Amino acid sequence: MFEFLFKYPISVFSRGTFVLLGGWPVWLLGLGIAGIAAGLWFLVRKRASGKGSHVTGARQVLVWLFQTLMASLLLLMLWHPALSVATLRPQQNIVAVVVDDSASMAQPDESGGATRKTAAANVLNSGLLNALRDKFQVRLYKMTDHLDRIDKLEQLDSTATATHVGDALKQVVADAASLPIGAVVLASDGADNSGGVDLETISEIRRQRIPIHTIGFGREAAEHDVEISDVQTSARALPDSRLGATVTFHQHGYSGQKARLTLKDGPKILAQRDVTLSKDGVEQSEAVPFNAGQVGVRSVEVSIAPLQGEENVKNNVVTRLINVDSRKPRILYLEGEPRWEFKFLRRAVEDDRTIDLVTILRTTQNKLYRQGVASPDELKDGFPTKVEELFGFEGLIFGSVDAPYLTPSQQTLVKEFVDRRGGGVLFLGGKDALADGGWKQSLDVDLIPTVLPDRKGTFVRIGANVELTAAGRDSLITRIEDDPAKNVDRFAKLPYVMNFQDPGQPKPGAVVLVDAKPMNGGRIPLLVTQNFGRGRTAVFATGGSWRWQMLQPLADKSHEMFYQQMLRWLVADTPRRVITSTPKQVLSDDSHVSLRAEVRDKTYLPASDATTEAHILGPEGIAEKVEMRPDPLENGVYTADWTAPKAGSYLVEVVANRGAEELGRDTMTFRREDGVAENFHIQQNRELLEKLSSETGGKYYKPADAQALGKDISYSEAGITVRETRDLWDMPIVFLILLALRSGEWVLRRKWGVI
Amino acid sequence: MLKVRLSKARLRVVLPVFFVALSGWGLLHAQRPFKEFRGQEYENFPLPPDWNQPAEWTRARLRYNSFRGVHTFGDGLMQWTVDYPRSDRHFLQGIRRLSRIDVRSVEQVIDLDGDDDIYNWPAAYVVEPGHWNLTDEQAAQLREYLLRGGFLMTDDFHGTIEWNNFNEGMKKVFPGRRIADLDNKDPIFHVIYDLDDKFQVPGLQFLYTKSRYEYDGYEGKWRGVYDDHGRVMVAICHNMDLGDAWEHSDNPAYPERFAALAYRIAVNYFVYDLTH
Repeated sequence: MFEFLFKYPISVFSRGTFVLLGGWPVWLLGLGIAGIAAGLWFLVRKRASGKGSHVTGARQVLVWLFQTLMASLLLLMLWHPALSVATLRPQQNIVAVVVDDSASMAQPDESGGATRKTAAANVLNSGLLNALRDKFQVRLYKMTDHLDRIDKLEQLDSTATATHVGDALKQVVADAASLPIGAVVLASDGADNSGGVDLETISEIRRQRIPIHTIGFGREAAEHDVEISDVQTSARALPDSRLGATVTFHQHGYSGQKARLTLKDGPKILAQRDVTLSKDGVEQSEAVPFNAGQVGVRSVEVSIAPLQGEENVKNNVVTRLINVDSRKPRILYLEGEPRWEFKFLRRAVEDDRTIDLVTILRTTQNKLYRQGVASPDELKDGFPTKVEELFGFEGLIFGSVDAPYLTPSQQTLVKEFVDRRGGGVLFLGGKDALADGGWKQSLDVDLIPTVLPDRKGTFVRIGANVELTAAGRDSLITRIEDDPAKNVDRFAKLPYVMNFQDPGQPKPGAVVLVDAKPMNGGRIPLLVTQNFGRGRTAVFATGGSWRWQMLQPLADKSHEMFYQQMLRWLVADTPRRVITSTPKQVLSDDSHVSLRAEVRDKTYLPASDATTEAHILGPEGIAEKVEMRPDPLENGVYTADWTAPKAGSYLVEVVANRGAEELGRDTMTFRREDGVAENFHIQQNRELLEKLSSETGGKYYKPADAQALGKDISYSEAGITVRETRDLWDMPIVFLILLALRSGEWVLRRKWGVI
Repeated sequence: MLKVRLSKARLRVVLPVFFVALSGWGLLHAQRPFKEFRGQEYENFPLPPDWNQPAEWTRARLRYNSFRGVHTFGDGLMQWTVDYPRSDRHFLQGIRRLSRIDVRSVEQVIDLDGDDDIYNWPAAYVVEPGHWNLTDEQAAQLREYLLRGGFLMTDDFHGTIEWNNFNEGMKKVFPGRRIADLDNKDPIFHVIYDLDDKFQVPGLQFLYTKSRYEYDGYEGKWRGVYDDHGRVMVAICHNMDLGDAWEHSDNPAYPERFAALAYRIAVNYFVYDLTH
């Protein structure tokens, strides 16, 4: 219809530039239109002023408008309007026809039970390829995780285990540098396993002005399917620590039904939960806590039990790797007075084999009592004064100790400990803590996640019940029960804390996990956390949580669990001098791995002069040493790219040296899995295909509309083009408008009784 | 109008009852307030001026039922109040002066009555436990108290008879745990003061008899019951009377060396408890 009215396809208008081919200047056209409008207004007014005229008031304006529009349109036609559009020169350009050949194209979800591959072949063979060949040279490609040229469609087998649309298009762009590629036709379901097409590739395609026309195959939504979209969990953990896995999934056809979500490590079930499935196509997330287990690499399999009639059960399982470290972080606890919280905190974590708690207690005015020290001389002079000594710890706890007890240089060290070293600091409440201990005036005031009150007397020995906040319900620090509802209930039933301290209001960005409801009324934040620099800090504004231990049966472990989780949170992410990472620990049908190492010296300043090597051990005896190069943009960061040649698990040990001195080493694991990726996102990803087309100046077609592509594709600015003009004066729409204006005026005049 | 009057009249009765009941309910779930009892030796002992100031720590005194006539007819019933409260007040002043513990100036009397209040007071002292008569329920509650993290110091019992009676009670509390002699190297003797050279601390009777011992308790014994983590949870001072030493530490006739050791033992024991 569009083409009937406007003479040309819509793509001509979207790509073309409006021009006036007439020799007269444009300003004359404007002047002419203005003159005609004025003349007509004069005439209409003159006639209307005649005695007995029916054309008065608003009718004059309408008549004048109809006549002016018609005259202006006719005048415009005299200036010869046209579209200037770039078109591909016949037979001098190449059109790349890229057909997805991944396993997902074998899905039989097209009409009549045909596979997507068959449907694509049918669309191409039923005239489209011939139409293209009439005008262009056509190159056929098949797309998997790379691009291969093929001679005929029969070479498609739809067995490839991965699709990387971005990589394939990059190859087309590379070819375009030496070949006159005028356009790309992509026949695909859009199921990409590499996370989509990156901006860099899109930019490059746009720079070369190659339009990508996409033809989408496959159903846009399954009828009966549950698919795990993502699983977020820590890549590293301390032994026996509680972790959280955020499982994101969606479903079609099972809204409101129950499904069983399971986390397993081999045959051992780590966590299991029944979830109620939400609306069709809506992503839902479940946070599932589980225990990290013992030292080693955990391969955590996250699965949703297949439901009856599910079309694809292979997308119900996702695997994540977790490195459970053998390190035992040391935490230094400085306490200003012998008190119950000190005793019961120590007891709460004494059975935690992953935490090494070292304490300094001011027992008398001039005596310190040290516990947990590594040697008789360690900390014999009290709180560390040297960076190497303090940075040997990964976490700090300040109890009821006043800030002036630390010298200004020690206070600066504490701040650096968090900011630069990435350690964690916990501030407890107490009669000499927080505002009452002068921390508001200390150099460490920024570390405290609340704005401390300006007054003293914030610590009171009045009981306070505790209540989890919304954030506290999701936090692993406060997760005593696995079930979130039971956990809230458990907290509500905890014995009141013996005392509390007003810590002030939380700072922007801080998170309140627990509120206190004092027995004398009101509500204050009790447990508040925040990130600071590379580290994290928290305030637990009480010295009376020991009642959770004494006032509950011996078998109750609330107090132990709370402090163990609190202290693990404090140090779990404290970095060592060398930290290795990779964006993806599980390579699904992918072999490319990017390694990144952050290297710091003994004082945790970035070490940009280190020699950094990655030693990689893989399946079937693979052993390779990879030199890591300094990242020019980030001081102390080293990177390397490597290809994992075989499926299986890989161990990477990164060693950083400065001369003969070893700065540090770190290990990590990753795994390459084959035959997995194509089980996911098997529905047509129309969003990706449409975005790809619109970003590059192409168009998305349904298979039924694809034959129009033969015409549309001629208009491109890539390849070898010629600039053509297309007349607009003879478009049917112009004559229809003129006719409508004239007859409209006539109808109105009839109605008014003028004629 | 009549209805309104009746309602107001009812409210005048109901509201106070409601608030009294509410506060009673609150007390059941809160620490019991300080209360001074009549002692065997002292009555209406003056309270220190800051007796009602809350503090981090106080030492509780365990009230127990006594056997009548452990030695003779006539002793019994009020044995738990021996030296009370003069000894307690001196003791608390000493701890306040010699350590950084935030100490309440008055003691707290606690009972093994099945109520949860005892768990609010994790540091306890029992005098003359050679006379105690624990029921099975009381023993079970004392066991729970100690295993949850409570600490008990026993003192002022002497000789074989009282030891046997004390031991009977401890067997009820911990049937499977033995009472051990505390080694000089144990941290309890070094947490603040190094107490390698300890000696028997006699009671006030020393002033009259010049004898350090009572009955056949010729030698002071430093003993204890350990928990599964190797921490002393019951510190036993047998054949000694540290309570008298605190009580009479302001008596010029009572030898200073006994009082000094008694205070040092107390500071070490209770700071040990707060650190282990």
